[in-house]
Formats: sequence, structure tokens, C-alpha cells
Amino acid sequence: MKARLARGLKGAVRPAGNDSALLLDPRHPAAPRPEGMRRYAAAEAVDMLIVGCGAGGATLAQRLARRGWRVVVLEAGPFWDPETDWVSDEAGSHPLYWTEPRVIGGSDPVELGKNNSGRGVGGSMVHFAGFAPRFHPSDFEVRSRDGVAADWPISYEELQPHYERLEHELPVAGEHWTWGDPHSYPHSPHPVGGGALRIMEGAERCGIEMRVGPVAIANGSFGNRPHCIYRGLCLQACKVGAKGSPLVTHLPDALAHGVEVRAECMATRIEIDEAGRCTGVTYFHDGKERFQAAEAVAVAGYSIETPRLLLHSTSERFPNGLANGNDLVGRGVMVQGAPQVGGRFPEELRMYKAPPPEIASEQFYETEASRGFARGFSIQTVGPLPIGWAEHVLADGHWGQSLREYMRDYNHWYVIGALNELLPRPENRVTLAEETDSNGMPVARMDYSQCENDRANIAFGKERMREIVRAAGAQDVLEIDRYAHLVGGCPMAGTPESGVVDSDQRVWGVPNLFVADGSVMPTQGSANPALTIMALSARLAERLGDKRVGTRGERRERVSA
Amino acid sequence: MSRDAGHLPNLGGTESGGPPAKLPRQRRGTTPQMRGRYPDYDVLEETAHWDEATRLVVLDRVERVPPIRFFDEREAATLGAFCDIVMAQDAEPRIPVLAMVDEKLYEGRAEGYRYADMPSDPQTWRQVARMLDAAAAEQGADGFPAAGREAQLRIVERFSQGELTWDGCPVDKAWGVAMRDILSAFYSHPWAWNEIGFGGPAYPRGFARLAAGQREHWETPPEFELDPVRDVNERGLE
Repeated sequence: MKARLARGLKGAVRPAGNDSALLLDPRHPAAPRPEGMRRYAAAEAVDMLIVGCGAGGATLAQRLARRGWRVVVLEAGPFWDPETDWVSDEAGSHPLYWTEPRVIGGSDPVELGKNNSGRGVGGSMVHFAGFAPRFHPSDFEVRSRDGVAADWPISYEELQPHYERLEHELPVAGEHWTWGDPHSYPHSPHPVGGGALRIMEGAERCGIEMRVGPVAIANGSFGNRPHCIYRGLCLQACKVGAKGSPLVTHLPDALAHGVEVRAECMATRIEIDEAGRCTGVTYFHDGKERFQAAEAVAVAGYSIETPRLLLHSTSERFPNGLANGNDLVGRGVMVQGAPQVGGRFPEELRMYKAPPPEIASEQFYETEASRGFARGFSIQTVGPLPIGWAEHVLADGHWGQSLREYMRDYNHWYVIGALNELLPRPENRVTLAEETDSNGMPVARMDYSQCENDRANIAFGKERMREIVRAAGAQDVLEIDRYAHLVGGCPMAGTPESGVVDSDQRVWGVPNLFVADGSVMPTQGSANPALTIMALSARLAERLGDKRVGTRGERRERVSA
Repeated sequence: MSRDAGHLPNLGGTESGGPPAKLPRQRRGTTPQMRGRYPDYDVLEETAHWDEATRLVVLDRVERVPPIRFFDEREAATLGAFCDIVMAQDAEPRIPVLAMVDEKLYEGRAEGYRYADMPSDPQTWRQVARMLDAAAAEQGADGFPAAGREAQLRIVERFSQGELTWDGCPVDKAWGVAMRDILSAFYSHPWAWNEIGFGGPAYPRGFARLAAGQREHWETPPEFELDPVRDVNERGLE
């Protein structure tokens, strides 16, 4: 079987320990089917019950199942059938987003939903652009190096082998990467469109280097996943199956190793026994409350829903919610500044073609004292479709005839964006609102306000992007302020006084409860978070599976199936 | 040719109220108001190359104008006039923006967030109607639809600057909520894609010609003869 599978991956390096690309049905390569999936009884205490089937949850499930763990994943959204559920259309892709009610506040509120919140098996990566950069070594020690935020309790070196392995699994295509820890990618860079070429030239004239990639899109067929067709709809979910998301990169292998993914199940409480250990999760399915027993639980609901679930899981022992004895759950939630600058060029560039993620620069990633603020930003291509571009034009102050005129000019524009590292602040937090959802659970409220360092970083990044676009020959420039990505809210730290989970992502105070998503990040760097979320889960699975961390809070033996 | 950018509003272009002089009439397919930069381009001729799920969703927008069920008659009249002004739809054929927004609100399709200092999106929309009518009444008109085009433009300009009154609630956010829904409706419609030359759904066919100035065989060149200097002179803008 192994040899036959290996022969199927012609011309590509076979990722170790993950046959997902070969397990997909070549006639329906954009997602596995749940038929024939193993099922577990509610009363059977599975080895690991995971809440959330995105980048963190799916990767953890696949890795643990490979080690013989019995794993169930609860996912609030549907198990997608890409042929019928996904459309090659901007407005029609709304069901991909988490559109349940949430409240946003603070002086710089973050709009949730389509830009940053996924729902359904595969999570937000189903509609992420596809950029898959690593964090830099400096990201793990910003307190020591730059005097801001916090150091991570783990180092870059602990994630490095997982980065490397995941880059083969997704797989990632791009040029040799010179920034951070220099490394190469398993797939060569994709061809870039006319707009990205103009931007590369403009950047070069400004002394700024841009490189092609790194994107989680196979360059060539990969197992049963076909080649990218450059249709430009990466953010609307890849019907082709070329772009990596857990649906195609980890779930097929997870299902083949006995994982049950229970879709349309909304977790509402993590249950705790008298000894302070969690016993399983209460959830709603078809409007009915149910319970799944488990030896251990990992929450992977991302930076809004994970804090919400921990805060809502109150008990006599934990009256303020789990791991919240020090009032830290939900604090330090972060978004990256994501201002975008569009330039108008004489030629038609038709930016709807080619994947939106094309080229990137991490030249401004680290602190440079002369800029007057700590940390930095990266620059990437964006390629908005008509509705996204109309929001740009509106943000520049146009409506009526003037908006229509800019929109008629759509094919002459190209857009780049920054990802600014905004700093974690305790007053930026997720709490429970008074309003409740259809299950009677309080909805999340997210408050967000920028600090002076954040504003200076965003302003500097926009200035560099305007220079690039002008140097590339733009005749007119539009810009828009926005945010991207969500991380933090349950930071990992060396002590319970400074974080929600320890360096093994175990919730302080509950020995068999883990957090396995982007909420554990103490800082966010200027990199898109998907690859790092996966790498953290891969590391966690290795530590759990290698018996270095027992779910009972002590080292224990596990028998691999 | 369109290589010039002088027609763009920031560069002194079309602020006089109408579309640029000599913007071509659409010869093929439909665009809103039958003008556009790509007069021989009709994305709806490509539907045979779209996947079935996408075809159903996109053609439904063209073939079915939903009835007004969320707004009452007065709100619909006010907000319909507002949608015409903000999207510069001054003639038929019009993309039925208000009907599309009404259906979204009627079906309870949400965005996934609500500002802490704002009511829900459906309530915000009703408030927008009340604000516009109140602003028209200040100018002596019986509601926004009766205010006349010039007054409507002035009121919308004030709305866009956050200058209308809504006790306790931020008007600039109401502008954002309304415009987000309007833009999403308008630019999801294939008639708008024809107007701007957008290639539309490209699965399973994909795109192959990615370089500057290249087109797929079904994409057509823009046809927009405009000398911006002459246009500005002819329209008496200098």
C-alpha cells in the first residue's frame, strides 16, 4: 500500500506521515467525504476531544490519530461538499464565514466575519489567501530584544522542524526565502501576473526586495490534487483543490486513521469533575444538547470562540471560567494592521487573475531604531475582486458617479497591503456580552484599541507602500485602512500569572485541557498565522504522543495502535 | 485611450455629476444604464463555462428580482431613492439594489459583527430611512423621495460625512453599514461586471493570460476614447 501510494506522487517529495494528497478522490479533490468515517459513542471517553476543525484542530487530530489516539472533533459549521456548497463568486461565498452574532467595541473596533472568521470543517484556511510564511526567530523574544510585549516560552528552534515538515505537506511554493531563518520551499515559485511584476520593479527602484511566494498552493499536481488554474478566487474557497487547507492537507489522513469529525456541533461548555479535571464537552446539535466524554480536551476555536468557551465554562471550582483565576482569558487578543494601497497603471492588469497571494517582502519585519517604533511589517499582494475593490473606493471618499468611474477603471489597478505587527494589550480582550445566541449562550464581545506604536507602524508601512506604487509608475493612488487575522487571547506563558496556557499549551489549573489554535500566541509577528498555528499543533501532538506530556498531568505510557 | 488616467475623480475628472462624455453605449449584453468601458463584453455569454453551483447563484441575481418584504412602503421609497443616488443609477436598466438588500435583511443573513454602540443592521437600515426623511423635511420636502435630485445629493453628501443627526448613535458607522450592503449587491451583479470588464467566475476553466495587457479570448478590449484635457474643457470644468 505504502509503495503504491508513493508511486502516485510523481515528481514531488512525499511528505512523511501524511497521505492526505493521495487519499483524496481524484474526481472530487477539494475535500474528503465523511461517509465511512469512524463513529464513537457519546459515553466512550475518547483519548482526545477537539473543539474546532480548523488549522489547529485538524492538524492536532491528524497527528494524534497517526499515533493511535481515538479522536473526535466537534465543528460548529458544516462538512463541506465543494462541488455544491462552494461557488466561484464573491458575494455567494458568505456561508464560509462565521456570521453568528458578535459585538465589537473599543476605539478601533475590528470588523469580524468575512475578513477573519471561518466556520465549517477546514476553518478559516478554507478562505485564507494562501500566504504561508514562517515566523522569524525574533518573534519569540520581542520582550528581550525590543522591550515590548512578551517573550514566548518556546523558541523558534522548537517549531522549526514542524515548519519544514508542514511546508512539504501543504505544500508551500516560493523562492528561496532570505528573511528570518533563511530556508527554501519544496515547490518552485508560481508565475506572477502583470501587476505583481510592476510592483516588484517599483519596489526594486525603492531599494526594497520582493520575492515570489510563499504560498500554500502546489506548483504542479500534488498527489490527487490538481494544478492551480489561476482563477483568483482563493478567498472564496478553492474549488480546484490546489490551495492548501486542512480539508485537503490533513483531514483525509485523519479520517483514514479513525478520526471522527462531528460537523454542525456547537460546543457550549467544557465539563469539570470534582477533582478539577475535564470530563468532556457539552454541545448543541440539531437544537438538542448533547455530551461527549473524553480523557482530554483541546479547544481549537480560535481567538474569539476559544476564550468565549473557556469563559462560559463556569463551575463552583472555576466561577470566572476555566483558567481565568487571574482574569487573563481573552486578554491580549490581536489583529494585524492591514492597510492597502492601490495604484492605477496605464495597462490593463486585471488583478482578478492569478492567486491574490503572489509576492512578499519581509525586509521591514524587525525593529529598526531610526523608524521610531518597535517591530515592523511585511508587504504582500492582495488582488481584491470587485466588491472588495468597491470598498476601497468608498473608503477613499467616493460614492455616486465618482465611485462608478473608479469602478469602471478596475482593470487598470493593482493593490498591495501591509501586515503590521500590532502589539498585544491587556485592554484588548474578548468578554461575554449580555446578548445570547440561539443556544442561549452569551455571544462574544471583542474590544480593540490601537496604541501609539501601532499607529506609527501602520503610518510608516503605508508610506513605504505609496513609494513602491509610485515608483512602479502608478498614475493615481488609493488607500484603505483595515485589519487582518486574529491571534492571541489565551497566551502561552511560563507562569499562570502571565498566561492562560503553559509552554505545552496546557491550560493552567486543568491538567487534561489544552488550547490548540492561534489564541495561544503571545505575539503575532508580521507573518500570516496559518502555518504557525499548524506548527504549534504539530509540536503539541509530538509532545503528547512522545509521552513528554501526559494528559493526566504526569508522564504516562501510551500504546500506539 | 484608456492609458490616460485623467478621467479619474481624484485627478480632476468626472465631478460634474454625469459619466464622462463619450463613455460608450453598451452594444452587447446589459450594463446598468447601458454604458460601460467594454461595450462588446457580456460575461453572461460565458455561463456554459461556469460550474453548476456558481451558475445557479449568479443567474438567480439576473433572473429574479426579489419582492420587498422587509421594508415598509415608505422606507422602500426613501431607500430606493437613496440607492439610486449613491450608485448613480439615474436611468433604466437599474441593478435592483434595494430589492437585493431587502432580501438579505428579510432572510436574516448577517455579517458576523455589530458595533457595541449601534443597533442591529436591520434596525440601522430603518434608521437610515428615518434620517434621510428628516433631513429632507428640514428642507421643506415631504420625505427624501420628494426632495429633488440636487437636495438629495446634498443630503447624501452630509450623510457620507457623518453630519446627519441620529441621537446617540454614530452616523458614520450607519453610512458604512448601508454602503457595505449596497456595494455588495451592486458589484455582485453580472451587469456591473460587464460595465467594469471583470472576467467573472472562472472555474473550471481558469485564467491563462496573466501578463499586463493580456486578455483571455473571451475578454474584450476597453473602448473608451477620452482625452482628459478636452473632456474637462468641453464640460466647462476649468
